[in-house]
Order: sequence, then C-alpha cells, then structure tokens
Amino acid sequence: MLKYTTGTTSRLMSHSKIYSLKGGSRSISPLLQKRHASTKSIRTQSLPPSASVDILNKQRLLRPTSPHLAIYKPQLTSVLSIGNRGVGGALSVLLYGSSIAYLFFPGTFDGDYLIELASGLPDYVKYTAKTILAAPLAFHALNGIRHLFWDVGKFMTLRGVYQTGYAVLAGTAVSTIVLVLL
Amino acid sequence: MASSMLASSSRQALARRSPLFAKSPLVARPATTKSSDALYVPGGPIYKGTVNDPTTFPTPSRVHGSHHWSFERLLSASLIPLTGAAFVTSPSVHPVVDGILAVSLVVHSHIGFDSMLVDYVHPRKFPVIGRVATWTLRAATVGVLVGVYNFNTNDIGLTELISKVWHA
Repeated sequence: MLKYTTGTTSRLMSHSKIYSLKGGSRSISPLLQKRHASTKSIRTQSLPPSASVDILNKQRLLRPTSPHLAIYKPQLTSVLSIGNRGVGGALSVLLYGSSIAYLFFPGTFDGDYLIELASGLPDYVKYTAKTILAAPLAFHALNGIRHLFWDVGKFMTLRGVYQTGYAVLAGTAVSTIVLVLL
Repeated sequence: MASSMLASSSRQALARRSPLFAKSPLVARPATTKSSDALYVPGGPIYKGTVNDPTTFPTPSRVHGSHHWSFERLLSASLIPLTGAAFVTSPSVHPVVDGILAVSLVVHSHIGFDSMLVDYVHPRKFPVIGRVATWTLRAATVGVLVGVYNFNTNDIGLTELISKVWHA
C-alpha cells in the first residue's frame, strides 16, 4: 500500500501517484493525474500590484496600430488647417530665433549687418527669399481671417468652408506676388 | 431597499459575522477596515491607481477657458490693423508702433506654440516632456521679449528692418 503524504507534495510524489499505482490502492482518474502533474511544473513569481501598469505598458508597445494619417485622403479642410499651423510655427520660429540670436550676439546680428547682407545677394536669391517669406505670411494672415469668420459663426457650412478655403488660396497667390514685387 | 428584504434575524446574523452588512449594502464605504484606498460599492471595490481610472479633467476656470479664448481672438484680430499701421505711419511714430507690434507678435506666437504643446505633448500623457517643454517655451518667450525690446531700443526697430531689408 502506498503512503500518500498530505501537505507538501514533491515532484517525486506526484510521479509516484501517476505511475506506481498498485492493485488494491485507490485509483486516481487520469484527468486528475494529468492536471495535478502539469500544475506542479509551473513556476510562479510574486509581483506587486503596481507591476500591472508596467506589464500593460510593455504590452501596449508591442501592439500594432491601424494606419490613420497614411490612409486618410488629404482634403482642403485638413491640409489648410495643418498648413496654417505649420506656417505659423515656422514664422514664429523665425521670430524667436532671430530675437534670441540678437539677445545673445547683438554685435553680429545688428540691423545694419542684416541690411548689408541682404543687399549683397544676387537678384534671384532676393526674389526667392522674398517669396519664401511673403507666402507663409500672406497665407497665415488670410487663413487667420477665415478663422475669425468662423469664430463669429459665419461660413460654418461645408460649402462655406470650401469657398473660403479656395478664396484664401487665391488671396495668398495674389498677395505673395504683390509683396514680392513691392 | 435591500435591507428591508432581509428578515431581521438573518440581518442580525450577518451583522454578527461582518461589520459590512450591519448597514445598508448600497452605501459606499471602505472595503475592509485595513484597506485605505478602496471604496466598496455594489459590484465590487473601486481601486484607484490602476489603468481603469477615468481620465482627469482640469478644473473649470474662466481664466484658462473663455477669457483665454477671447483674448486670443482679440489679439489676432488686432494684429491686422497693427501691421498695416506699422508700414503706413511716419517714422516718428515708429518706436511706439514697433513696441506694440513686437509684443503682440510675441504673445500671439507664444499662444500658438502653447496650443501646439497642449495638442501634441499634453502633460497628462507625457508628464515629464510636457512640463519641460511648457517651461522651456515660457523661458524662450521671456528671452524673445527681452531681445525684441533691445532691438527696438538699441537698433533700428522691427518695421525699419523689414522695410530696409525688403528694399535692399
């Protein structure tokens, strides 16, 4: 007769439970034996409750995301909106950069030096530079006016948004030409 | 009320077994006497600090809400006549117009940059980078204001520079 010790059962014990059943001893069903044997081979690790957030974040980094910006059709609404933010940011970077440059290096970046520098450039460089400066400014100003119209409730329809959008683009082209030739 | 559905004797039996069932089970109270951060409501205790926490919202404030919005729109609207005035007025008025134009442009740029930071690196999702970027922007704006003041005072000024460089 096999002796089964209660309490802690070692691997050896479970092994004996499965394989050394003799006649006359109590038989354990095969299902129970398999389950009992497999749970004994699992090793567990104790983690604090705060580890759940770390595990979740690690998992989230591995998850794939659906495409969004890559597949959405570019439309006048979205392109003009992000374009307005982009040119506004670019112009502000220019303003911030030149002001901080003047703050730290007033000798090198003073007004006379910049005027001299500008006059010494060839004509085509001057026209290109003027276009690069005038077009964003004109677009941002005109789109800003379009935004202000929305803020008072005007042109808040799809038709109105598209009409004002095309008007802003046309106005930008005209204003850029006017400013460059000024 | 659930408590009225229980017979008084079984309620007493339950009350003896656990202090939770002494009162109505529909009132929120601590899950156990030891736990400090779990609220018990029917359905299970609510634990704070897990990934199931609802998103936080900033406290409503007119200063950061409607007043900020109105100020931003009024400033943007005022920039149009201001830039026009800067280039059509006589040079004798330039220092004053330059000063107002420069400050308005810098504040307008700061509000724009701040909106970009709030949209792309919100402190709720990016606690470190968001806050670092916000304070870096504020420091940069202060530097720009000082630089622009210096340029307008010690040098030719914003409108003069733009017109001279344009016609150089």
